[in-house]
Amino acid sequence: MHATTLRLLRLVLALSAGAAALTAQQTAPPPLVTSQEILDGLTPDGSRWLTFGGDYNNQRHSPLTQITPANVNRLVPQWTFQTGTLGNFETTSLLRDNVLYVTGPQNVAWALDARTGRQIWRYRRELPPNLTACCGLVNRGFGVLGDKLFMVTLDAHLLALDMKTGAIVWDVTMQDYKTGYASTIAPIVVKNKVIVGVAGGEYGIRGFIDAYEAQTGKRAWRFYTIPGPGEPGHETWASDSWKIGGAGVWVTGAYDPEQNLVFYGTGNPGPDYHSDSREGDNLYSTSLLALDADTGQLRWHYQFTPHDVHDWDSTEVPVLADITIAGQPRKVVMFANRNGFYYTLDRTTGKVIAAKPFVTTTWAKEVGRDGRPIEFPGHTPNEKGEVTCPDITGGTNFWPPTFDPSTRTFFVNAREACMTYYAWKPDYKPGDRFTGGAGQRGQSDQSAYGALRAIDPATGERKWEFRYLTPSTAGLLTTASGLIFSGDAEGNLLALDSRDGKLLWRYQMGAAMHGTSPTTYMLDGRQHLLVPAGTTLTAWALPQ
Amino acid sequence: MRWTCSVLTVGVLCVVGSSLFAAQDPPAKNPLEGNSDAIRGGMGLYRARCADCHGMDARGVRAPDITQVWASGRTDEGLFKTIKEGVSGTEMPANPRISDVEGWQILAYLRTLAAPAPTDPPRGNAVNGENIFRANCAGCHRVNGAGGRLGPDLSRIGVSRPREAVLLRIRRGTEDFRPGFEPVTLTPPSGPPIQGVKKNEDLFSVQIMDTRERIQGYEKDKMKSVKNDTKSAMPVFGPDRLSDSDLDDLLRYLQTLRGFDPAVVPK
Repeated sequence: MHATTLRLLRLVLALSAGAAALTAQQTAPPPLVTSQEILDGLTPDGSRWLTFGGDYNNQRHSPLTQITPANVNRLVPQWTFQTGTLGNFETTSLLRDNVLYVTGPQNVAWALDARTGRQIWRYRRELPPNLTACCGLVNRGFGVLGDKLFMVTLDAHLLALDMKTGAIVWDVTMQDYKTGYASTIAPIVVKNKVIVGVAGGEYGIRGFIDAYEAQTGKRAWRFYTIPGPGEPGHETWASDSWKIGGAGVWVTGAYDPEQNLVFYGTGNPGPDYHSDSREGDNLYSTSLLALDADTGQLRWHYQFTPHDVHDWDSTEVPVLADITIAGQPRKVVMFANRNGFYYTLDRTTGKVIAAKPFVTTTWAKEVGRDGRPIEFPGHTPNEKGEVTCPDITGGTNFWPPTFDPSTRTFFVNAREACMTYYAWKPDYKPGDRFTGGAGQRGQSDQSAYGALRAIDPATGERKWEFRYLTPSTAGLLTTASGLIFSGDAEGNLLALDSRDGKLLWRYQMGAAMHGTSPTTYMLDGRQHLLVPAGTTLTAWALPQ
Repeated sequence: MRWTCSVLTVGVLCVVGSSLFAAQDPPAKNPLEGNSDAIRGGMGLYRARCADCHGMDARGVRAPDITQVWASGRTDEGLFKTIKEGVSGTEMPANPRISDVEGWQILAYLRTLAAPAPTDPPRGNAVNGENIFRANCAGCHRVNGAGGRLGPDLSRIGVSRPREAVLLRIRRGTEDFRPGFEPVTLTPPSGPPIQGVKKNEDLFSVQIMDTRERIQGYEKDKMKSVKNDTKSAMPVFGPDRLSDSDLDDLLRYLQTLRGFDPAVVPK
């Protein structure tokens, strides 16, 4: 072949190959969300938020530093999204490829353009009438893997939605909602499994944690939070009380890839207040469970409040960190509990490293060497009423704390409140409320207040506090630039210096952040702060 | 909707209920109000189904205070519907398992928490009581659209507070203020202090009605001080200011107040 012809042919081939590559580039689908991405957590480029706590540790600590203590007072709103849906907005939004994935109350969900807040798609579940969900028709957020989003529902299903359209890919029933089961938890996705739990501790359920195959929705394992006959711990429930003993799981856990363990806090035993029918410690209610992520096998447990009678679910957010305590590197799980105690546990054994009240706590003096609380007498609810601190809502609750590893500080929005607790014998009817008592706020409660508290996890000692007028139910976010974001019950969005609690900036959102925290990410080179408050989601950034 | 007894509801109440609830529409007024058996039954139902959220005394724990629902103008019929159907989009669930009789029983009990029925026979002269009210109370309290606004509107006091509580309030005063009526004194950098009652507050600001009935918001950092007062602006009316007989008359008048129709022009 002539040399020129050959060159021409090569050119044509090269051009067509290039065109083919271009075509492939244009038509290739965007990369799917991988397990590795979730494992990597919050990366310095700030391009994503792929799991409830930002990373599997639940630290809610962002490496981003564009917004600083010096410039935070220059934040300006970029857009506001109105959910148009009533109810508490407790979600943690996920971010991937400049799109936000948001769940709202009553199982409505959206994909939003993160640049403008404009809706891309909306999903709304047709919920059955007569839901028995206790304590709010809420949802705490999506999980994600591949091209699927995972969302639990108030009628105790788990759904996989197509990330691009919001269409249902699969829908599995976790349990029959008519017998008191519901689900509000944000799933975590570990490898190829979606891990979730059920609510219903006020309805005589038997709680469990489930794992489902992300691809198919097939259930991979179930761990009952109340052991059945023949299982260790079953003896901690009198007669048949284990069948209706509660111990729901409605707040997202953490995952330690090194040990391949998930850590989940469990809810109150039931009936909540009248406990004659459930003599014993009532394992594994009000506990932290360490389960093998592949099999659901229990590795260890720690029960914060044996035989709880105050509805102090231990469904707060567990936070993992590797820190140095007394010169020794320790793998810990940090946990501020509704019962008023802050705990640092060794997450390889479940043993207590530090435990100390972080609010006024009248039911127990301290945690003994054996890990059990040393209780004061006279704090069992009865028909006449007994006064105990904390109150039913607790020293803290489901709103996420944050941990700043650079200063080794755990932050929590704490509540100072007491209550008169009453108890009476309830009858169990499937699907009916089964609490056996109630609370009453007394005059002493006029002085109830809240505070953002900074705690040293080595000792449980307080480093500083910022007091609120009334108890706040907002979650927290820290950043590597030394900021902590919070909110008060009166609707103020607050930015403070995380080193000393000095207030740096505030904005009246018109409604409180409740049960969730701001998140932060980078978009087109600018750090954004995303704030769910009331029925809105507002994005903030520094001026361009 | 059919208004029949639940098959599980047995006994006298059900028999009574059959005749009461035979109509297609719910009665506008609770047919079991004041019925002691119904109140007792309602207490059990309230405690089992409602107290966990609304509190043992119905003054609110996780859910709102519901002792003042009548005072705020809600009707028996509307409240019955709320119990049965819940409040859409809120945490108040529908209660399809609560029968009609049980719903009315709960309301009969709740009514006793709001304003227990007086055990003594009524005494005092309401006409004279109204005159006493106009002379001593109407500067701050409104009734049926007339009077001051600094204190709570008393148009429904007769259904919202027991006689004894109102008596104590008049005779001894209180340090326990209803939200929206907490006394506060703001001291500006210059000029006299501003006294009023707090309508709202956050860490940074306070919204008040001052003693001239001006509603206004103030930023706390622009004030020399913001002080929550422990004494109410309402004077204590001891026997030297208000005789026992006049007090009886005033209380009798107040107990007659059951709300009013705002569509009717006040006198």
